Amino acid sequence: MLRRFRLEEPETVPEASELLARYGDSARVYAGGTELLLVMKEGLAHYERLVNIKKIPNLDTVKQDNGVISIGALATHRSLSTDALLEERLPVFAAMEKHVANIRVREVGTIGGNLCFAEPHADPGTLLLVLGAKLILAKASGRREIPIEGFFVGPYETVLEDDELLTEIRVPLLPAHSAAAYLKFGYLERPSVGVAVSLSLDGASVRDVRVAVGCAGPTPRRIEAAEEALRGKSVEDASESIGKAGAIAGRESDAITDLHGSKDYKEHIVGVLLKRAFTQVVEQCR
Amino acid sequence: MASLKMRPRDAQTLPVTLEVNGKTYELDIEPHELLIDVVRERLGLTGVKRSCDVQVCGACTLLLDGRPVSSCTLPAFEARGKRVETIEGLATKGQLHPLQESFIEHGGFQCGFCTPGMILTAKALLEENPAPSEAEIKEFMHGNICRCTGYKKIIESIRAAAEKMRPARGRP
Amino acid sequence: MRFEREIDIHSPKEKVWRFLWDIDRFIACVPGCKEAGTLEAGKSYTATMVEKVGPFRVEFPMRIDVLESREHSYIKAQASGSDSKIGSRMKVELEVNLTGEGDQTKLLLGASVDILGKLATLGHSMIKRKADQVMDEFAGNLKQKLEADA
Repeated sequence: MLRRFRLEEPETVPEASELLARYGDSARVYAGGTELLLVMKEGLAHYERLVNIKKIPNLDTVKQDNGVISIGALATHRSLSTDALLEERLPVFAAMEKHVANIRVREVGTIGGNLCFAEPHADPGTLLLVLGAKLILAKASGRREIPIEGFFVGPYETVLEDDELLTEIRVPLLPAHSAAAYLKFGYLERPSVGVAVSLSLDGASVRDVRVAVGCAGPTPRRIEAAEEALRGKSVEDASESIGKAGAIAGRESDAITDLHGSKDYKEHIVGVLLKRAFTQVVEQCR
Repeated sequence: MASLKMRPRDAQTLPVTLEVNGKTYELDIEPHELLIDVVRERLGLTGVKRSCDVQVCGACTLLLDGRPVSSCTLPAFEARGKRVETIEGLATKGQLHPLQESFIEHGGFQCGFCTPGMILTAKALLEENPAPSEAEIKEFMHGNICRCTGYKKIIESIRAAAEKMRPARGRP
Repeated sequence: MRFEREIDIHSPKEKVWRFLWDIDRFIACVPGCKEAGTLEAGKSYTATMVEKVGPFRVEFPMRIDVLESREHSYIKAQASGSDSKIGSRMKVELEVNLTGEGDQTKLLLGASVDILGKLATLGHSMIKRKADQVMDEFAGNLKQKLEADA
């Protein structure tokens, strides 16, 4: 059961921001609602007002802007999973979107909502970390761009200010001889572990590599120590070190024991997925 | 249903136009009313089922402009100006939809509780992909859960319906 | 979920001991805790725990029962309460060990926290993070208050 709330439907970002500033804690941004309405129905959170931002035009488009793909925060998972530009220029992202939740959630849920709700068992944040995404946060008085590393604070918590909206996700295109992959595993509705890797080769050596782990711990996080174990090595040496990198990534993932698996189990799965993802990106780079 | 009498005087109402199974309805709804409740309680279309209530099981699936949604977690105002399809709208003039026929012929259900959601989701699948492989069916349908019959018969039913529907498709 | 903290306090054991039994001052060290009350001195107390995590706010009216105590060295207590609004229950088992000589006391704090009901559906990572924060702040407050009194 959903308790009564009032609906506000601003048509511009500044209007939305002003509404959020005016009503403070008693209002919340509403986009797809696939996460928010669940906790409201459960009675875990209640807002007197929901600010539906879907009437704001042009916040759901995907476009290329020099070497950057710009994704509007209101784009649904479904639209991103079938977007022609993404399929061509950033297929790893479209592929990840194809497997978010189920078809009904993908139809309604938005990429922006997914990031802002910061539910720990989510896919996009982990992949965006290795892609080096930047987020545009806007409010009535201006906007700022932050790297996604600085966005998540904890489960259900981000650096968004009360009157701020995520409007755009900017993802740089992968350079030549580079590839990225996202793999996940779980046995409940939401994943237990998600691992993302991006790799850039310089001939036969690892010029750059990024590793991120999500779902296991409170927020998706880059695991720089695991990257260090691979960077600068030949592909062969890096492939030999992948077990070690996986063990580091597992340890540093801040995994906790819960319904989705024990800490040990999740740490192990991180290693398994990292190895598989690394093998995949090596193939794709060549 | 929360009747008009129970509404507080300052409650916000939204005048909405819904097109359900080809029929147009003008309704005053409150923002918190869920699509499943409006469809079941106000329009009397009880084919749509509330089950898990958390967008996991698919029993509450309705089609919105042809696309599957969880009506248990979708406010009714989201259907403003859109086309809603329920299981009741599939048969035309006493003739079952090919998917309905196939589910009967191939034993695609036992208790029937998940069936409206299964059939509507399958309809959305066949609209975008008239000849899905078994893997594609499994992928698209993975969010619809059946707790009686297992999925083999359901997949068979969908494949058979696709066969039946194919010749009629895309040819004027 | 089990939490442990070791706090080195520049203050004699006897003084730390007295502080722990001064319910108002003790509760003031627990972030989010308020409205301390005494049902039976040395045995049962009440307090209300209010915490906010992201969009979620919980309020647990708690009853605290002292199960075991050995003067100047050990306390075992149990606290439990329910948030009726969100249908959740919290149970905490608390153990305090004091050791040390002269002006130095080592306080070992162990807590087992169980959250039941709807709140638990949000996942352990959220609750663990919050509880960690509460423990850290509590440890800091306790040390600061006791040392300031010296």
